[in-house]
Amino acid sequence: MLEFRTQGFQGYAVKYSPFFDNRLAVAASANYGLVGNGRLYVLELTANGIQCLKWYPTQDALYDVAHSEVHSNHLLTSSGDGSLRLYDVSLAPEFPIATFQEHSREAFSCSWNLTSKATFASSSWDGNVKIWNPERQQSLLTLPTHSCTYSTQWNPHTDGLLSAVCSDSHLRVWDLRTPASANNHLILQIPIHSAPNTINNARLQPTFPPSEALTHDWNKYRSEVLATAGVDRIIRTFDIRQPKGPVQLLQGHTYAVRKVAWSPHLPDLLLSASYDMTCRVWSDGGGAPGKPAAELGNMGRHTEFATGVDWCMFGNEGWAATCGWDERVCVWDVRAFMSG
Amino acid sequence: MTQAPDKAKERLSQISTHLKPDSQPNVLPGSDMGKDVLLKKSPDDVVVTCAIRSPFTKAGKGQLKDTMAADLLAYTFENLISKSKIDPNLVEDIVTGCVLAPGGGATEYRAAALAAGFPDTTAVKSLNRQCSSGLQACVDIANQIKTGMIEIGIGSGVESMSTQYGPGAVTEFSDLLENHMQAANCKVPMGVLSEQMAKDRKVTRADQDAFAASSYQKAVKAQEQGLFDEEIMPVTVKYTNPKTDEEKTVTVTKDDGVRPGITAESLSKIRAAFAKDGSIHAGNASQVTDGASAVLLMKRSTAERLGQTILGKFVNASVVGVPPLLMGIGPWKAIPVVLEKAGISKDDVDIYEINEAFASQCVWCLKELGLDEKKVNPKGGAIAFGHPLGCTGARQVGTLLTELRRTGQKIGVSSMCVGTGMGMAAVWVAE
Repeated sequence: MLEFRTQGFQGYAVKYSPFFDNRLAVAASANYGLVGNGRLYVLELTANGIQCLKWYPTQDALYDVAHSEVHSNHLLTSSGDGSLRLYDVSLAPEFPIATFQEHSREAFSCSWNLTSKATFASSSWDGNVKIWNPERQQSLLTLPTHSCTYSTQWNPHTDGLLSAVCSDSHLRVWDLRTPASANNHLILQIPIHSAPNTINNARLQPTFPPSEALTHDWNKYRSEVLATAGVDRIIRTFDIRQPKGPVQLLQGHTYAVRKVAWSPHLPDLLLSASYDMTCRVWSDGGGAPGKPAAELGNMGRHTEFATGVDWCMFGNEGWAATCGWDERVCVWDVRAFMSG
Repeated sequence: MTQAPDKAKERLSQISTHLKPDSQPNVLPGSDMGKDVLLKKSPDDVVVTCAIRSPFTKAGKGQLKDTMAADLLAYTFENLISKSKIDPNLVEDIVTGCVLAPGGGATEYRAAALAAGFPDTTAVKSLNRQCSSGLQACVDIANQIKTGMIEIGIGSGVESMSTQYGPGAVTEFSDLLENHMQAANCKVPMGVLSEQMAKDRKVTRADQDAFAASSYQKAVKAQEQGLFDEEIMPVTVKYTNPKTDEEKTVTVTKDDGVRPGITAESLSKIRAAFAKDGSIHAGNASQVTDGASAVLLMKRSTAERLGQTILGKFVNASVVGVPPLLMGIGPWKAIPVVLEKAGISKDDVDIYEINEAFASQCVWCLKELGLDEKKVNPKGGAIAFGHPLGCTGARQVGTLLTELRRTGQKIGVSSMCVGTGMGMAAVWVAE
């Protein structure tokens, strides 16, 4: 396991570059992101461990980072002041090349469009998801959720398909190809806390209270599948063709789940980071009938809330990076923590 | 840096909701009901962060006898502001319950709020649901907060029975009302109808006296142990000595109705007040008293943001109607309704504060509901320290939450019978 200390700054998100197999970006914040500055780290894996290639100071806390899918040196951050900032690592100055300021509250996540690659999305505590083009100052589109929105993600298969999860315990899916009618591209709004699809016996139907959803991710192989997680500690998988309720419930975390990420290499593998300080590896069974969902491993090296995880798209299929409030970025092989 | 000063607090409260231990899901069918749900803390709970009252003194004799209701209310508001340290500018609405004031006291109480230091942006209304006015005031505020109409409010109650008790509180009944039997019954004096009810429902004098004596004994003990200290805030008023006619300024600090040495035996010697062969007398009915009380309510998220101490939360309330001549049975009808709404059983409740309008009706309600007497009015009730009509309902909130907190218990119910035939009850959870 390789480690890097983000001294004085607590990690909020970590992302592997889609262009360089040795490059990582980390969004971190002083004072646990409550008050004070943020810092964007660009890290490189070298023969001498993890080295800091560059860092950028920011005025407010940083909560998320995304790599541009078109430009190998472009990085996007989302910040406590609601702004999104675009950095070019290949340039010398320590300030962003563009700033996008429309959100009125903390911008908690940002995601680059994985299919058309021309746009990116952001979500904020102000109850909006916004779509942007890096070449335009103003957003292209605002999709209201009317609820503190912790996470937005583009579907990696279908251009124009976008989703978000909110503190109102709902998963929303927008299809930007639909006409902008009264429902504003919204095609699905699934209560995350609804009873699982698989349970048909009404008498045994478990009930779940609504609970804030903090994170979600689209499966990289099964275009209709995504995973959500949040305050109620349960990771759920959904198939948007059966929008009634979750398909699988993955239980094990003992505190809220802050981040989930599907493997770019295997269709059933999922990594999660939690306030219980662990990062866990899960299989949802791959959607095959009769194949049970299971927790496959548990990485407990973080000594504070684990907040960010990402998989490396290159090389061996097990490499992942995690960050947390213990000011550490860990790069590790997931397979070393899998029990079998 | 252009961060707003509240930014860090807002972010902290946002992130701390991620870690609420009670956000664990209920996976078992049916477990999403009852006590567990009631004890959960949610950011949108309506919580009480301060509940105080003036001392209660006997009408016409006590040290508050020369203080107008509005003044007493203003002093109590001042005390509420100083104890809770709430910024008066943040209080959006005040509801004051009162029964005897002409015109409902609407004008005086608005003036009292201004005199107490609330800005003109704080709205005020008065209401009258007879003896449950104080509770209704708190419930109104809680419901306004729940619906988002306001964020912070005060439920309160006041009664100066010294200055406003008398025939003036009710206007003449018209022929329409007089000629309708049930309507005309609304005018029958409380004592008379309670006497009849005690007779009909066979509540013996001995039972009433025993209940009344225990109310006194509990109150004496509570007063000695200082159990009222947290809810009573002293007021400084002018008082004219009836013997010397000398006016002086006094600071009133405790209830003067609580008398030591009262036993069922000593009460049995008092002559019945409403009928020769009756059972109700001054010693087993609520005292005629002056007093004011106030309860500060807001959303839990607001309380946490402002750093207010959370004493407990309001869960829900019920209001029911009963025949006017049987107004004393109000709690018997209202309590099961509120318990059902809350999804709990009577045994889940740790303390009941049931107003002792008359020992007769209170004893009957307890028996019919099958309540454990140890759980009812553990610090005594209106028989021992008085029932300033509009004030009592708000008084009970402070009495109840203080005692629940002191004893480490959780669930409380406050309830009372209401003149003209109604009952109210509310469920509260202490923290």
